[in-house]
Amino acid sequence: MDNETKKKINERYERELNRGERFWPDSIYKDLIVSLGIFVVLILLATFIGVAPEPKADPADTSYLPRPEWYFLFLFKFLALYGQIPVIGKIEWLATVLVPGVGVGLLTLLPLLDKSPYRHYSRRIFALTAMGTLILDIVLLTVMASLPSAPNAEELAASTTLQAIGGLWIPAAILTILVAFYIFKRDIFHQSTRRSLPIYLTVIGGLAMVVMTVVVSARSSSYPKPEEAEVATTLVDQITAGQDLYSVQCVECHGDDGSVAIIEGVEGLEGEEITPINSTDVLYTITDSAMYEIIAYGRPNAGMPPSGKAYNAEGLTRSEIDHIITFMRYAWDDRFEAPPMKPLFPALAEGEVPSYDVHIAPIVKRYCISCHRPGKDNNDYLMTTYEEILTTGENKDKNVIARDPDGYLIQVIQGTPIMDPADPTQELIGVMPPKGHLKPDALEAFILWIMNGMPETAEDAAELFMSPTTATPAP
Amino acid sequence: MWKKVFDWLDERLGLNDLYTTLLDRPEPKGNWWNTLGSASLFLFVLQGATGIFLTVYYTPSPDHAYDSIQYIMEGVAFGWLIRGIHHWGASLMVIVVFIHMLRVFVTASYKYPRELTWLIGIGLLLTTIGMGFTGYLLPWNQRAYWATTVGTQIAGSVPFVGEFILKALRGGPDLSALTLQRFFSAHIWMIPAALVGLIGVHLFLIMKHGESHFPTKED
Repeated sequence: MDNETKKKINERYERELNRGERFWPDSIYKDLIVSLGIFVVLILLATFIGVAPEPKADPADTSYLPRPEWYFLFLFKFLALYGQIPVIGKIEWLATVLVPGVGVGLLTLLPLLDKSPYRHYSRRIFALTAMGTLILDIVLLTVMASLPSAPNAEELAASTTLQAIGGLWIPAAILTILVAFYIFKRDIFHQSTRRSLPIYLTVIGGLAMVVMTVVVSARSSSYPKPEEAEVATTLVDQITAGQDLYSVQCVECHGDDGSVAIIEGVEGLEGEEITPINSTDVLYTITDSAMYEIIAYGRPNAGMPPSGKAYNAEGLTRSEIDHIITFMRYAWDDRFEAPPMKPLFPALAEGEVPSYDVHIAPIVKRYCISCHRPGKDNNDYLMTTYEEILTTGENKDKNVIARDPDGYLIQVIQGTPIMDPADPTQELIGVMPPKGHLKPDALEAFILWIMNGMPETAEDAAELFMSPTTATPAP
Repeated sequence: MWKKVFDWLDERLGLNDLYTTLLDRPEPKGNWWNTLGSASLFLFVLQGATGIFLTVYYTPSPDHAYDSIQYIMEGVAFGWLIRGIHHWGASLMVIVVFIHMLRVFVTASYKYPRELTWLIGIGLLLTTIGMGFTGYLLPWNQRAYWATTVGTQIAGSVPFVGEFILKALRGGPDLSALTLQRFFSAHIWMIPAALVGLIGVHLFLIMKHGESHFPTKED
C-alpha cells in the first residue's frame, strides 16, 4: 500500500471523527447497556435453565457416545462426514489438521492477504460471499450434529448422504467456483454489471444447503430420541437411587438390611459365609474408595462377583456404585445421619386407584426385580416392565388376572403359597418375596392395583378414581 | 472539600490527563454492532470473577472434582448461581467473540492501519476457545471425560508430532489425574495470563487508532 492511499485513508478517518461523537458519554452508554443486558440474560439462564446434571466420569464405560462442547460440534460433524469419503477419508490428518490449520492460517493472515484498500461491501464481493458460505456451513453443520442419529443402517446411509451433500459438497463447490473466478476471471467481482453472478451463485447454493438441512431435520424428527439418563443430584435422590440399585444388585446375597452372614438360596454360593456388610466392623474399616473397588472389581476369593463396567458392559457405572455406597452409609453407618427420606411411592388417598407408573413400578423395583430379571432362576417370570409383569412366565395365564383375588401373584405376596395342581403336596410357587415380606402399605397398593384392573399410567388410574363421598358427578 | 480531594489526587495520578486520553476521545458515529468488543471484555471479567469464586470449593482431582462441583451446586449459598453464570458465560463468550470477529470482517475494519489489532484478535479468539476446551474437562463428568478423550485424540492425529502433543496434553498415554491437573492449571493460570496480555495490546491498539467508522460507498 503506497503512502498516497494511506494518507487518503487517514484523511477520510479525520473527516469521520469530525462529524462523530465522544467516547464518553456518547459511545460508552451503548456498551454499558449491552453488557448489562448480557449480565441479566446470564442470571436468567443460570436461574431458569441451570446446568444439566451429568453422571460422574467413568473410564470403564466405553459405550458412552462422546459429544464435544456445542461450538466444536460443526468440526465433529465435518470429521464424521469427511470420514465417509472413499480413499482420502481414511487419511485422518487431512481433516483434523490440514483443513482447520489452513482455515485458521487464512483467517490470521487475512489483513496481509487482502491488500485492497476498499472497505465498502460492494467492492468486497469475493471476501463476503466466501465467508458467508463458510459461516452458513458452520451453522448448518452444528444443526446437523445436534440431531438424533438414525435408527438403522439404511436410514443412516441415506441421512449421511444428504448431510454430506448439504454440509460438504455444495459449500465445497461454491467455494471452488468462487476461488476459480477470483483467480481466472477477477473482473467478475469488480465490474458492477457482472458481479451479480457470484452473488446469485452463493445465494442459490446457500438455499440448497439450507433445504438439505431442513430435509435431514425432517427425516430425523421420526427417529427415536436418545434416552436422557436421570442423574441424582440431591443427597435424598442419591440415597434413594442407591437403595433401588442395592435392592436389585446386592439384596439376593446380602439381604435387604445387609445382615446376612450365611448366604441362602443363591445358586453357586449356597452356604457361603460372609461378613455382614451392615456391621460396624465393615463400615468403620472400609473407606468409600475401598468399598468402590470391592463393588466394581468383586472379591473373587469370597465369591463376590465384579459389578463394575470394567468386566461387563451391562455393569454399574461409577455414579451408580457411588450411590450404593451413599445408601449403605446413611442406612447402616451410625456416623451418618440420614435426611428425611421420601416415601417409596406417594401415599394413596381414599378411593384412589394406584397406577403402574407411579406406585407399582417403585415397589416392584425395590422387592421383585432382583430375581425377576433375565438370567435369574424365576420360572421365566420377568417383572422389569409393565408388559412383562402381565405376559411372561411359565404360568403367565394365572400370574396376574385383573380383578381376580385368586391370581398367583396376589396370593403369594399375601403369604399363601401356590400348590402344584398335579401334586397338591408340592409347592409350585413359594411366598414372595422369599425372604421378608412387603410393607403393609405396599401390599395394600399392590392388591388395590390388581383388583382395579392394573392401570398402567396415572391417567388410566385417575379414570377409575372412586370418590368416597359423592357417588355420581352432577350431569 | 471534594474539590480538594480531587485536586490532591489529580496532582499525583493525573486524573485529568487520564480523562482526556481514555474517556474524552473523539470517535466516529457509533453503531450497536461496535459494542461486541466491550461485551467480550465484560464477559471475560465476569468469567474471571465467577471462576475465582469457584476455585474456593473446586478440587482438581479425579476423586473429588465431581463431588466438589456437586457441593457447589447443592451445598454452597448461591453456588448454583455462580456456576450457572460461569457455565453459560463460557458459551456466550464464544458466541460474542465470534460475532465480534464477523463484524470486523464484514466492515473490513482489519485493513490499514488496524492489521495488528486483527492479528491479536485472532489470538484472543483462539485463547477463548482454548479456555472452553480446558474448562470443559474440569467437572470430570462423563460428557467431559469422553469429549476430552476424543478432543486430545484429534490433536494426536497430527503427523510426526501427534504422539508428543497427545502425551503433552494428557500427561501420559491416557486421561488421568495429571490431565485434570494440567487442564486446570492451563484454565486458571496459563491461558488467562495470555488472554490478559493480548487484551492489553488489543485495547492499546484500539485507543491508538480509534474505532473504525462504518464503511460507506466512499470507502
